[in-house]
Formats: sequence, C-alpha cells, structure tokens
Amino acid sequence: MAAPVTGKVVYDQEGVFIHSSCGKLEDQDSLIPGTLRVVEKDMEVIVDWRPLEETLDSSNILCAVKDSSSVVEWNQSPKERNNGGPEHQNSYEAEWDMINAVSFKKRQFTNGGVQSPINIQSKWSFLFSLTDLKSIKQNKEGMGWSYFVFCLKDDVILPALHFHQGGSELLLECLEKYVVLCESEQDSRILLVDCQNRSLSQSFENLHEEPTDSLLQKFKKDPYTATMVNFSKVTNFLVDTIRGTDPLTHRRPPQEIADFLNDAMPDLKINQQEESGFEVITRIDVGTRPEVHRREPVSTAEWESNMDSLGRIRNVDHLKHIIFKGGLCHALRKEAWKYLLGYFPWDSTREERSQLQKRKADEYFRMKLQWKSVSEEQEKRNSRLRDYRSLIEKDVNRTDRTNKFYEGQDNPGLILLHDILMTYCMYDFDLGYVQGMSDLLSPVLYVMENEVDAFWCFVSYMDEMHQNFEEQMQGMKTQLVQLSTLLRLLDSSFCSYLESQDSGYLYFCFRWLLIRFKREFSFHDILRVWEVMWTDLPCQNFHLLICCAILESEKKKIMDGGFGFNEILKHINELSMKLDVNDVLCKAEAISLQMMKCKDLPPAVCEVLGLTDNTSAPACDLAEDYVVRKHYQNSTPPNNPVPALPPNGTRGNSSLKRLPNSVHTPTSAW
Amino acid sequence: MASKSSLLKVILLGDGGVGKSSLMNRYVTNKFDTQLFHTIGVEFLNKELEVDNHMVTMQIWDTAGQERFRSLRTPFYRGSDCCLLTFSVDDLQSFQNLTNWKKEFIYYADVKDPESFPFVVLGNKVDISERQVSTEEAHGWCRDSGNHPYFETSAKDATNVAAAFEEAVRRVLAIEDRSDQLIHNDTVHLHRKPKSSSSCC
Ligand SMILES: Nc1nc2c(ncn2[C@@H]2O[C@H](COP(=O)(O)OP(=O)(O)OP(=O)(O)O)[C@@H](O)[C@H]2O)c(=O)[nH]1
Ligand SMILES: [Mg+2]
Repeated sequence: MAAPVTGKVVYDQEGVFIHSSCGKLEDQDSLIPGTLRVVEKDMEVIVDWRPLEETLDSSNILCAVKDSSSVVEWNQSPKERNNGGPEHQNSYEAEWDMINAVSFKKRQFTNGGVQSPINIQSKWSFLFSLTDLKSIKQNKEGMGWSYFVFCLKDDVILPALHFHQGGSELLLECLEKYVVLCESEQDSRILLVDCQNRSLSQSFENLHEEPTDSLLQKFKKDPYTATMVNFSKVTNFLVDTIRGTDPLTHRRPPQEIADFLNDAMPDLKINQQEESGFEVITRIDVGTRPEVHRREPVSTAEWESNMDSLGRIRNVDHLKHIIFKGGLCHALRKEAWKYLLGYFPWDSTREERSQLQKRKADEYFRMKLQWKSVSEEQEKRNSRLRDYRSLIEKDVNRTDRTNKFYEGQDNPGLILLHDILMTYCMYDFDLGYVQGMSDLLSPVLYVMENEVDAFWCFVSYMDEMHQNFEEQMQGMKTQLVQLSTLLRLLDSSFCSYLESQDSGYLYFCFRWLLIRFKREFSFHDILRVWEVMWTDLPCQNFHLLICCAILESEKKKIMDGGFGFNEILKHINELSMKLDVNDVLCKAEAISLQMMKCKDLPPAVCEVLGLTDNTSAPACDLAEDYVVRKHYQNSTPPNNPVPALPPNGTRGNSSLKRLPNSVHTPTSAW
Repeated sequence: MASKSSLLKVILLGDGGVGKSSLMNRYVTNKFDTQLFHTIGVEFLNKELEVDNHMVTMQIWDTAGQERFRSLRTPFYRGSDCCLLTFSVDDLQSFQNLTNWKKEFIYYADVKDPESFPFVVLGNKVDISERQVSTEEAHGWCRDSGNHPYFETSAKDATNVAAAFEEAVRRVLAIEDRSDQLIHNDTVHLHRKPKSSSSCC
C-alpha cells in the first residue's frame, strides 16, 4: 500500500530535517535530512516527509491513514545516525522539541506487521492527509531556522521538522490554499486548522506567561516540586532547555539550573533506566485491553465456607481473588477487614485471635492512658503533644460530618475518632498526627464499631501509608513518579499534553494518593475501593492503575477542551463524588491485565507493578514495604499470572536493547 | 461602562482551621457549611464582581494550612496579585504565625517589591466571644508590617467577608493604575491578559 505518492506536487522542499536526538546532553544530535512535499492526489492533499536516501524509494514509508487500527512504532536507534547536516550548537530546541516523535498511537502500518530491515532512517518517514491535521506548532521568530510540529486530529504528534534551508513560509502559504489556519488563542505559536477548535475556555487565564520559564521557576523555587517533576522526560526537557540557547528562556545561568537538577536527581532512581532511552524509543504497544466484569460481593456464607473448624481461613488466595472481584457484603466487613489489613493472620485460629485481641486491647489502653494522664500543666511544656491535639481536634470536627456515625454535636463517633488519633500519636510519636489521617481512620472506625479493633486496623493501614505523611512526603513523590511512569506507557500523547500544560508532574492527583481516593468516592463506595485494594491483587500498586483509569476517562475532556494548568486542576478536583466505582475498578483491572500480558513492559513499569522475578534488580523502597506487609500477613503470595521478563530481558540500564523484541514493531531491524 | 475584565488571583493563607475555606465558600456561594472537610491539596474558585466600574474575575486559591504540606502549596503562590493573610481571633497561635505566612508568601511568590505588594489581613471568627486576639493587637501588627488593611470577619454570619475580598481587588487595581501611569506598556499585564476583547483602556 505504501506506494509512492503520485499526483500533483504543489510543494517540494529539500533540507527539511528531523532531529532525532535522544535528548541527551553530551550526545550529538542525529539530524536526518529529508524532503517535504505536499501532493494533490485524487481528492486528497497529502503532506509527505521522507529522508533523503529514500526520497526515490518510497516502499518503506509509514503511513498514517485514517480509520485504522493497528500499530505503528517509531523505533530509532541513537547509535545509527547521520551526522551530516548543519551544526547544532545553536539549537533553539524549545519545549515541543522534546517530544520530537513521541506518541504514535494506534495507527495503520501499511505494510502490515513485520518489515524487512531497511535503513534506520526510513522509520522516520511519514505522510498524512491534510484532513487529519489538527494543528501546527511553530517556533518563535528570529531564532535561526524555523521548525514545525504537526499534530494530527487524534493527537498524534509528528516529529518536529526543521527547515534548515527555509521554505516554511511557503509551506504555510501552500497549506492555506486548502485549509484555514488560525492562531490559537492560548498560544500564538500554534496554528489551528479550522477555527472550530477555538472553543478553548476563556474563563481561566494561563498563569504562566511562558511555560518553559515557569517550569524552571518551579524547579528553582521549590525542591519538592522539583523532585516531583523527576520524570525522565521532563528531566530531558529541562536538560534540553538548559542546553537550548533560546535567549528568552535563558534567564538563569545554565549552571545554576543544572546544579539544581542534580540535587533533584537522586530521587530519580525509579525512572533512571529509562532516562537513557527517552520516550521516543520506548514507545510500546501494550496490546488490547480485555473486557472485565465484576462479580457480586462476597457473602457471609461464602466467607464461612472457607473457614475450618478451628476458625482458620483456607483458600486465602481464592478468597482474596473474589474479594478483589466483587468486594465484601457490608455485614462481612467488620470481620474480613481485620484480615485484609493484617491485624488478624489468615491462618490464626479462633482461639489465637481472641488471645490476640486481648493482648492488643491491653496495649491500646496502656497507650491511651499515656496521653489521657498528661495534665494541663504538663501539656503546656509539651508543644508537640499540644500541636497534635489541636490539629486532631480541628480535623475531627471536619471529617465525614455528614455520615451519621460522625454527625451532630456530641456524637460518640467523634470522640472515638479523636481518641484513636491521639493514641496513634503515642504509638508513633515521631509521625504524630498529619492531616489526612482522620480521613483514613474514619471508614475503618465506622466499619469496626470498636475502638481497639479500629485502632489496630488503622495502625496496619498506616504502616502502608506511612511514607505519604512523613516530613519529606517521600511516599507521595515516589507515587507521583510511578504514576507518571505508568501513564506514559499507557498514553504518552496524554502525558505530552499534560506536560505542555505544565501539569506533567500530576500535581492534581495529590489528594487521590495521599488518602487513597477517600475524598473522591462516596463513603459507601470508598469502603469497596479500599477492600479491593487491600487484597494486593492483581499486582502491586493497583491504586496507581485506578489513577490511570480515572485519568484516561477524563483525557478526552481535558484535551478537547484544551484545558490549561488551572483548568486541569479544577477539573480533577471536581470529579470528587462523581466517579462510578464499578467503572473505575473495571477499567483499572482491565489495564492491569493488559499490562501483565504485555511482553515488552519497560523495567520501570515492571518494578512499579511488582512484576519482576527474583533475580531482578533490587526493589525500590516501596516494593520492600510491600514485601514486609505481605510477610506480616503471613500469607502466601497470590497465585497470579506474573509475566516473565522477555527472553532476553536483562534488566539492564538500557531499555533500548530490549525494545526490538516488540512483536508489533514494524521494523525488525534488530 | 467597565472597559475590561481582568483575572485576578488572590490566595488565602493562614494556619489550619482558621476558616480559609469557609471564607472562600461564604464569599463565592454565600453559604456556611459546618460539615466542610479540611483542605487537602489546593483548590480554587472563581467569582465575578464589579469594583469601581471594573469587571473582575477573582480567582480565589485556597490551600491546606498544615506545615507538612508547605511544599504542596508554595508552587501555587506564584502569579498571585494579592495575598489574604488569615488568622482566627480565637486562636492566638494563628495570629502569631502571620509573620511566617507573610514571609513564606513573599519568598515563594517571587514578589518583586514586597513593600508595595498588596496584603489584606483577615481576623476571622469574630462571632466567637472568647477572643484570644484583640482588635488593637491585630491593628498594631498590620500597621507595623506595612500598613495592611485589616478586616474582622465571620464566615459563619458573613460579617465583612465581601468587604475584605473587595478591598483586595481595590488594592490590586490601585497598584495597577499606578504602574499604568508609569509605563504604558502591556508587559505590566504579562500574567493577566484582558479577559474580554472589548475596547482596551
Ligand atoms: N464560629 C465560626 N466558625 C468558623 C468560622 N469560619 C470557619 N469556622 C469553623 O472553623 C473550622 C475551620 O474552618 P475551615 O474553613 O475548614 O478552615 P481552613 O482555614 O480552611 O483550614 P485548613 O483547610 O485545614 O487549612 C470549621 O469547623 C468551620 O466551621 C467563623 O467565621 N465562625
Ligand atoms: Mg481549608
């Protein structure tokens, strides 16, 4: 099908380059010279770029055709590059250049699956029909040669084309014969095809006059944000920006920023492997997503049928599985949560549990007495206890007050909430009380209806959530980085969009992660979400897949609406209480299945989801936590399909080497 | 008639529990919700209003007051046109912390000229009779810290809430008028382009 485009050539320009840089600092850029043509053919107008060598041989072209379903991959090896072309030292690579050749979504590859090895550069060829064009991003004027980035209607972003020998003006003139191009109101560098797309909401203002600059500002200003922005791509972007000599964005001495970045780097370990790869190359087909159905909640009868005469739970894996699939009926929660949270060992006998509860009750009341017996005078000299108490008092009054368990003035529920949180301060004085903890306790207490049990279940839950609340909030940073890793695999075009709106660090997911969606779902639904998560199925960090599921559902609104930084934040905040729990859980499970079936998961993703074999690289902090908790629960690991690494899946530093194994890679050059 | 509508960003800062969210809700929706959650993360609401013939869209940012979440809120300070420093008159500590809040804001908002940046101080919960901070003390601090306007508010019974927010707008507009006279240049409005495209100036 990839026959040479024949027809009337209405524009023909040589010296149009793709910079296939991997974004690495010291690395020379790979410049691929080529020819850009606009061809009138039948009723269509085709825009066609291909590298120099094969301008005459068009049998190896990747063709982006409408209504298609299979996958195009753009693999490109940094080793094989053409060093010809103009010097690059005065590169102005702006923010869009970082995504040169990202995000090729599912599109028809016209030659079908596998292709014979050909010149590496041919992979960069592209052509598209003008009817598919959504926008063109230009660089600013007065910066040497111009470059254009074509964005297609389904948000495929094509590699930036650099007009080293001019001709960009002519191209626009030519295109304007067929389509109307108008400046985006949000960004004058973007030309939109048709003005219909201009329905960009005007009710918000972009706070940041210059995205690049403001991102740098943030890095500069706030190390915490900086570490949250530690995704390889954003980092590459910054490296690019530092290297770039755009005089306008170059307000700070490059060294200063570089130092700053280095400070932020140590936190980057999770993504480091991918760092060398740059997303361009690690575009992976994650395969089709299976349909998923949920089952009805586990009933008391089902639960009891899995208990032996001594009260030990048998078939733990099976039980967890059905809890994962359907949750628990409410009557069962009071008992089952104690196991799920790790307060009761699954293999304990009834007798052992009642002993345990007695011991735990003593221990609880001993700690409770400690703060209860602090006199007013003493407390005056104990500022930390005073502060904890004051925070707890304030927050207890502002936690789930519409729930009948906590509503009204002198509800005993409020006193229990208060007392358990105070006792937790005694249990872990270093952490004490941090806002958000009352949200985690409230449903647990509601279900347990018992101070002591609620406390110990809460302690177990806090073991898992502890890092979220620590001084440096390491848990939050880690999770945001991990989430970005997953999201990038699932939908790099959305990631690119978020980054273009300064939102790549997924700030807006903070509340979701800090208190595990507690404020996003109704009280009733959060009970379901949590018990599903506590099964630790189907993989580690399932809650991050829940995030992905929700974000995916909102992607269209966000991108179609052209939402900026503020609007994205507002939109996500306002999803609260509007999410359908079953939809979200189904989707998240489907994503997990999709990922576990995928043979080419990048190591970073495997690590996040815990899909690694024993011989693999050391687990990150979070993974260790996971193991510890598992151990504590004294349960055998779930008997779940854990995909092995690809045959040659050495978890090395270069994800590049592994990629060629992708079955869907159109070029099997390796 | 009003010639342009601009977007104005104000940010509410102050200790946890002083009533920032309640003030914002009172002002924007004219409701006081006793069942409000404490704030996690950052939120903002928009409110359109007319002040002295200027149509303004006020974007009110509300943050979590607890120390631990500082790194979460500070990135949002940038671009603020006005900062509402809030304490609760029944909470001495929250009053004493105003100085820290102001410092934190100036540092992270990257305020070019802290001397002339508009701060408005709100002493909230005046409906409560057991006060720990007197009006005089509060006035004193405002005077000594750069003559900030001071309002005693109650989100609960709506006392002075609108007045405080409107004062914030006035302060911003006043500064803008001054700079408009100094430099007749659009760059002053870098972060705030005119909202509607009706005739300019
Ligand atoms: N009596 C009285 N109570 C108020 C007033 N404003 C707020 N409150 C109460 O004070 C408590 C704290 O109010 P919030 O608005 O949640 O405080 P905040 O400053 O947003 O707190 P954080 O979100 O934790 O930073 C709530 O219980 C409110 O009902 C007021 O004007 N009068
Ligand atoms: Mg609040």
